[in-house]
Amino acid sequence: MTVAALPEGAPAVGDPLRTIVDSYVAAFHTYASEPGEFALVRAYELGRQALIQGLGVLEMATVHSVALTVAFEGAVQHPGRERLLEASEKFLVEALSPFEMAHRGFREANTVLRRLNEMLEAQSKRIAYALHDEAAQLLVPLHLGLADVAHKVTPDIATDVQGMRGLLDAIEERLRNLSHELRPPILDDFGLVPALEFLCTSVSKRWGIPVHLHAAIDRNLAATVETTLYRITQEALTNVAKHARATRAEVSLVRAADAVICSIDDNGVGFDAAAASERRGLGLSEIGERVMGLGGTLSVGSRTAGGTSLTVRIPLEY
Amino acid sequence: MSKRLFDPQMAVLGTYNRDAPQTGGAATSALRSVLNAGEARVRIRSSADIVAARQQVRELASLVGFSTSNLTLIATAISEVARNILEYAGEGEITVRFIREGNRTGVKIVASDAGPGIADLKAVMRDGFSTGQGMGMGLPGARRLMDDFEITSEIAKGTTVTMKKWL
Repeated sequence: MTVAALPEGAPAVGDPLRTIVDSYVAAFHTYASEPGEFALVRAYELGRQALIQGLGVLEMATVHSVALTVAFEGAVQHPGRERLLEASEKFLVEALSPFEMAHRGFREANTVLRRLNEMLEAQSKRIAYALHDEAAQLLVPLHLGLADVAHKVTPDIATDVQGMRGLLDAIEERLRNLSHELRPPILDDFGLVPALEFLCTSVSKRWGIPVHLHAAIDRNLAATVETTLYRITQEALTNVAKHARATRAEVSLVRAADAVICSIDDNGVGFDAAAASERRGLGLSEIGERVMGLGGTLSVGSRTAGGTSLTVRIPLEY
Repeated sequence: MSKRLFDPQMAVLGTYNRDAPQTGGAATSALRSVLNAGEARVRIRSSADIVAARQQVRELASLVGFSTSNLTLIATAISEVARNILEYAGEGEITVRFIREGNRTGVKIVASDAGPGIADLKAVMRDGFSTGQGMGMGLPGARRLMDDFEITSEIAKGTTVTMKKWL
């Protein structure tokens, strides 16, 4: 059969969509004039092909709309408008069915990702505990033992022993830091906002950059969300301190209707994407993965006033 | 709009036995035709047979009372398992039947082949095993469209996929 001329605005010849459009229009025409499983299989196969080619649902809607326009133009003379509408629905549903399959796969993967995140979180907690409460505790008797020995030996040896005690202090410090990095105990003890306050204060003190915190959330968030937001802020502030040459930074945590939004802004030099992927790549991509695992989004941009703005949005259902 | 041709909760269904067709007065003719249908069997040797298999399941599932969108999902699952048969075994068969368990009614689809069999079932049920599966289609895709999904396979003997969708 000859396909009627496509309406204005339809994809042009050469457009990858065009091949799908032509086949779709023809298959829909067949189905509308002779409804049956054969044409529905075509609809489904076209949808499948489109999905594999990387077309989206919106493009399928466009394709369908073109087919419907063509069909209606041809259908004016015969009394088939209602039948055409019914056929339109059935055909479209069939063509979208592969997308439904893909969508379900995506949702499932997301659930798995979330579970994985929770597992990692629990593991981090366990390791943090082992480092801090177990390993560090073992060092205490060693410390006391050495102090005791220092009293019983010649001054020369006592000096050496004191040196060893200094090393022990360094090890303890390192263990504590590692443990805090894995799972900041302050999160468990006080919750996200006090933890962020503490973080901002310590960054201010350590790097001499005033960090202002604006936190307005009125409910507790899931543990994974809290840890993620904490880590993101930590990572972002470290970036600001180390690379941005900023004189101040601002952390804001607010609740939208269906999401929690956290942004970290600074007035530094901004960053150029190429250099950033070298320098900050690891930190940022790690943040991106964490956020994705919670179904959220991450955007990094330069502010008009100069500096960098990093915004994270995590849906509240988590 | 799908028409509900009979009430699947009707007691008569509880005593359904496909070898002894119902003659009870409560059964409508539509119901009787579902019950009498027993199971539909479609040989899958070419993609044209997929059309027939989908046709069978759509008719049966529509009599059972499934909505239009669910009919589409069931037909899609059939397409995916049939495609798998053609691709890996060359030929096979699909049977479709009405089922009832407790107070649930539904359809059961069995797709079997005597092909080479699948050595690693876990791998085959993972997304990304083949091109289409990367997009969440293929056998894992079919699993997500149905309520129950079971796959058994034996090397050199063949593969059987059993899927159910409940009303």
